[in-house]
Amino acid sequence: MGSLLSVLIPPPRWRLPVAAVLGLTAGIGGVVFYQSRAWSYLQDDPKACINCHIMIPQYSTWQHSSHGRVASCNDCHVPHTSLAAMYYFKAKDGLRHSTLFTLGMEQQVIRITEPSVAVVQQNCLRCHGNLNSEVSTSKVMGPTKSHGEGKLCWECHREVPHGRVTSLSSVPNARMQLEAPTIPDWMNIKPTDHDGVKK
Amino acid sequence: MKPLQEWFKNPMLAGALFLATVGVGVGVGLLLTSVATRKAESRFAYTTKADIAPDESRSEVWGKAYPLEYESWKETSDTGFRSKHGGSAFRDVLAEDPRMVVLWAGYAFSKEYNQSRGHAYAVQDVRNILRTGAPNDTDKGPQPGTCWACKSPDVPRLMAKMGDSAFYGAKWSDLGAQVVNPIGCLDCHDPKTMALRISRPALADAFMRQGKDITKATHAEMRSLVCAQCHVEYYFKGPNKHLTFPWDSGMTVDKMEAYYDSANFTDWTHALSKAPMLKAQHPDFEVFKMGIHGQRGLACADCHMPYKTEGGMKFSDHHIRSPLSNVANSCQVCHRESAEELTRNVEERQDKIQQSRIQLEDVLVRAHLEAKAAWEAGADTAAMKPILRLIRKAQWRWDFATAGNGNSFHAPLEIGRMLANGITLGQEARIKLARVLSDRGVKTEVPYPDIATKAKAHELIGLKMDKLNAEKQTFLTKVVPVWLQKAKAREDSLPK
Repeated sequence: MGSLLSVLIPPPRWRLPVAAVLGLTAGIGGVVFYQSRAWSYLQDDPKACINCHIMIPQYSTWQHSSHGRVASCNDCHVPHTSLAAMYYFKAKDGLRHSTLFTLGMEQQVIRITEPSVAVVQQNCLRCHGNLNSEVSTSKVMGPTKSHGEGKLCWECHREVPHGRVTSLSSVPNARMQLEAPTIPDWMNIKPTDHDGVKK
Repeated sequence: MKPLQEWFKNPMLAGALFLATVGVGVGVGLLLTSVATRKAESRFAYTTKADIAPDESRSEVWGKAYPLEYESWKETSDTGFRSKHGGSAFRDVLAEDPRMVVLWAGYAFSKEYNQSRGHAYAVQDVRNILRTGAPNDTDKGPQPGTCWACKSPDVPRLMAKMGDSAFYGAKWSDLGAQVVNPIGCLDCHDPKTMALRISRPALADAFMRQGKDITKATHAEMRSLVCAQCHVEYYFKGPNKHLTFPWDSGMTVDKMEAYYDSANFTDWTHALSKAPMLKAQHPDFEVFKMGIHGQRGLACADCHMPYKTEGGMKFSDHHIRSPLSNVANSCQVCHRESAEELTRNVEERQDKIQQSRIQLEDVLVRAHLEAKAAWEAGADTAAMKPILRLIRKAQWRWDFATAGNGNSFHAPLEIGRMLANGITLGQEARIKLARVLSDRGVKTEVPYPDIATKAKAHELIGLKMDKLNAEKQTFLTKVVPVWLQKAKAREDSLPK
């Protein structure tokens, strides 16, 4: 440990510029962290998924669906087998998403990838296990399907939960109220007196 | 290992490190630019560039930018759907149930009360109804500006100019040439961002008095709160008729009654019994919150404006209506039963609630008439006062249960409780009345009146319907066309 430090610590006359450069890097890194709302990816709030606005069609169709009140994005789209698996998958998917988004390489119609298919199918069964334990399709998993056997849940339940039509332009007027005010400028909120006049 | 400074004695290595650092700097800089650019982009990505004026009350102007929502909104003019107990068709409620004429004797509701049609008719129907009277050049009519408060996007337009107090304080007829567009876009949306927005101060004020800040509401809450601007219990406070929600101590039937009692508020004095009455409006939001769908966190829009797809575009169906006319898109999003069975489930709740409701109505009709008989037999005020309080309490519960849209589906348990309490209170009043009557020598039962038809009920309470109808016709043919002409002149002068 001591030898590692002696390698890394610069000699006295270098220390000032090195400290300045490190400080600058940390500062800019902090701004990137804040601006990109990076901390939100560690939580469960579906709002994190619309940090990239191209996910708004998925967000708003989910929000208007029967799953909107009971299941978050993470409930379906990351594995729940262990905490490690959860964060590993989330990081893997998230890095791919952020790379594509940063480079402007997103598709007009965003499709689910094969590893995600397996995760989502597993999560359908995780919650709806006792609903379909008698149904033969409950044994269909992502890998089974990729061998061409069986059907996935959403091949029949096609509206669940994002609807049939998925494209970046499919919900042109979905508003997420990111910064919008909920009252107009003229409205003054005040109590009234006995005569029913605003004080 | 060599200390770091030894490595940099090699100029090649020092240069390479410098270049690598430049590379990282450029990368981080580019990333930062990308994040900022795409964040800015997100503000515009789902916003139409249409230039809609901040007070644009004509929904057809919005419709140019939002054609799918606009076209479906126009369908609220469809009056084709009749469910077992409701729907969007015209229904003369007083003709279907003439008891109500007696229950509202002395109050304008006894003149005319109809099933509410779609939002498209809001302005037209409030002009047509006998309750708003027949104002003309010499007589400004009985109602204040407050009666327009929920009928039109012209209301926030005018309030922005006049202030809400002045709007409520005006006469209803003074604003007739201004309020012409039926409930539409500006009532619920911000013209600039199209985000959901509160346009009526009464709701924001009620939140403030409860210690809550409405601007902190989430999007999911807003999907109900825009409806709660109007579909609630309210009253006209003070001589200035300020629209006020009685929610200060709570939103249940008992808490709102306590509010009115402590404010010493009375809507009117009953013409037969002289009881100090309360009139419930339509506490749809409050009742919905007490039912299972409300408790599970659903919003009004989930069932009344479900998602719809047209030409690959998904949008909220703005044909706001009874979910019973659209079971497939509303109920069946969550429930797997057939449309017939789901409709049956709703009707069962409505039928059973209606049974108790009619029982309470009969109790109340009798109580009002027995109180009238007691006054005629010379009962003194001290003996009558507690009886009249009981009648007030019982009818408040009946009205609260009856006046709402979809109450018996939204929260059947709460409505059942309310009606049961009402029946008990009404019968208590009748027991006391029996004593008063027998003390005054009236030993026989006060007969139940013949109110088989609306006309007979009107006759019983002494309303001259022919005169009222004739005056209304004059108003509709002479006054309203002038209002419409003025409104058209104003709108024609605006940019298209």
